[in-house]
Amino acid sequence: MERMTTKRARPLSPNIQIYRPQLTSVLSIANRITGVALSVFAVVLAIWLAAAASGPAAYSQLQTIIGSWPGQILFLIATFVFFLHLCGGIRHLVWDSVRAFELKQIYASGWAVVLLSAALTVISWLLSLLIAGHS
Amino acid sequence: MTRYRIQTPLGRAVGLGSAKSGFGHWWTERITAIALVLPAIWFAASLIAHTGTDYETFIHWLAKPINTVMMVLLLVTLFWHAALGLQVVIEDYVHSVAKIWALIVMRFACFALAAVGIIATLRIALGA
Amino acid sequence: MPRTNAFIVRASDQVPKHPLLKRFPVPRNFGVTPGSRIERGRTWAAPAGAVRTKAFEIYRYDPDGDDNPRLDTFEVDLDACGPMVLDVLIWIKNNVDPTLTFRRSCREGICGSCAMNIDGTNWLACTRYIEETGAPAQIYPLANMRIIKDLVPDLTHVLAQYEMIEPWLQTTTPAPDRERLQAPEDRAKLDGYYECILCFCCTSGCPSHWWNGDRFLGPAALLQAWRWLTDSRDEAAGERLDLLEDPFRLYRCHTILNCTRTCPKGLNPGKAIAEIKKMIVDRQS
Repeated sequence: MERMTTKRARPLSPNIQIYRPQLTSVLSIANRITGVALSVFAVVLAIWLAAAASGPAAYSQLQTIIGSWPGQILFLIATFVFFLHLCGGIRHLVWDSVRAFELKQIYASGWAVVLLSAALTVISWLLSLLIAGHS
Repeated sequence: MTRYRIQTPLGRAVGLGSAKSGFGHWWTERITAIALVLPAIWFAASLIAHTGTDYETFIHWLAKPINTVMMVLLLVTLFWHAALGLQVVIEDYVHSVAKIWALIVMRFACFALAAVGIIATLRIALGA
Repeated sequence: MPRTNAFIVRASDQVPKHPLLKRFPVPRNFGVTPGSRIERGRTWAAPAGAVRTKAFEIYRYDPDGDDNPRLDTFEVDLDACGPMVLDVLIWIKNNVDPTLTFRRSCREGICGSCAMNIDGTNWLACTRYIEETGAPAQIYPLANMRIIKDLVPDLTHVLAQYEMIEPWLQTTTPAPDRERLQAPEDRAKLDGYYECILCFCCTSGCPSHWWNGDRFLGPAALLQAWRWLTDSRDEAAGERLDLLEDPFRLYRCHTILNCTRTCPKGLNPGKAIAEIKKMIVDRQS
């Protein structure tokens, strides 16, 4: 039992303020942040479809926004975010089947997720630019 | 923290007891994740294939039955999965009464946006 | 010591050469209540004549005063003290400041008393080499605990959470006259779980326990829960799962795996929790 005579509440030792970021926690928070970001992009998707349904004018207006520089940069980020959440999610599904829990595997799969996401982002943008160049 | 509440440590740890649930949410989050893989990759591939296409081409493409079905499946699983995921995020970080309101608003928004997306897709598909 | 690789960590005792970041990019007092804010403390110089010295920044808190916690810097004479971080603390207590307070007992990694946060990760002070610490080395109590004094955390709550999972053999069948039989392969299922020394490095390093520690049981208690769930002699698996199946008690685990990364005994709480979740899947479907 706690002493009843304590003058002041016991301080809480620091947690996130001092705990060292490691691949484990960094990729976990990355999966969360990308998930929230993709939820925002899901909102954009719904609006985009609604714009397309309401006619060519609204659609082309939206296309102009997406085609602008800030829009393209946002789209590039969205691509990486998408692949990171996809690959990270698959890593989580593997863990849920109680596999690949050795630290070496945790680290190897973690870096694999990062590299694969970056590679898929580059590949999909190259493909996209290639197709745009041909049409 | 209920600092001055006199309670045994075990009483504090037990709290309101086990809800005897939680599996459903956890399991559905995984199922929707698996269900999302195919439509999500289809969607990414379609975006790449449609870089810079005009309105007519896009409408024509979405009206194809396979694409309509995939888009509707994407919208259902996407917003379902998002609702489950955002629920965990809110429960993790919001500890005031705002939590319940945030959960309600988030869930309504996910349902509404899914409906908007699906109806829009169907309107395009049915040529309305 | 295991081989050090810049990117792949093979064992929990591996200190990476190139840490990603020293700390998360959040303000020093991010979410910290005024009474828990850490102030600058004093510097204790090395004794005259010390040749090889190293600075150690150590969290201090005196419950008898009215002051906030503070961070003291001690210049330690490395030639006068042993090779481990615990040796540093003992040296300081013997030679510099006798009020420095910390728990220690076995000094060989089996009692779990000297668990603390060393250079940002939780570990036992008795099994961490001084040479593996940064300059200055930073020593805090276990993260996210109510502090009794200096490096002594109040473990009341996490021990109550351990008590909650009922860590003892439960049977309806009356106790036999002889020992309870267990096949060697069933006994082997306890390996990697029974060795837990309850130092709470894992629970203290778990972000999910930081934000919801009042309701989430945390990796230490859940690893122990699995140790009893997987024991072939136990007859209370159903009741144990009922107790655990809760959005917060079990499912607040998001497989962050800071627990497995930090366990000073090389155990795998993250895997134990995944086993529990899988057992619930097996029960449901």
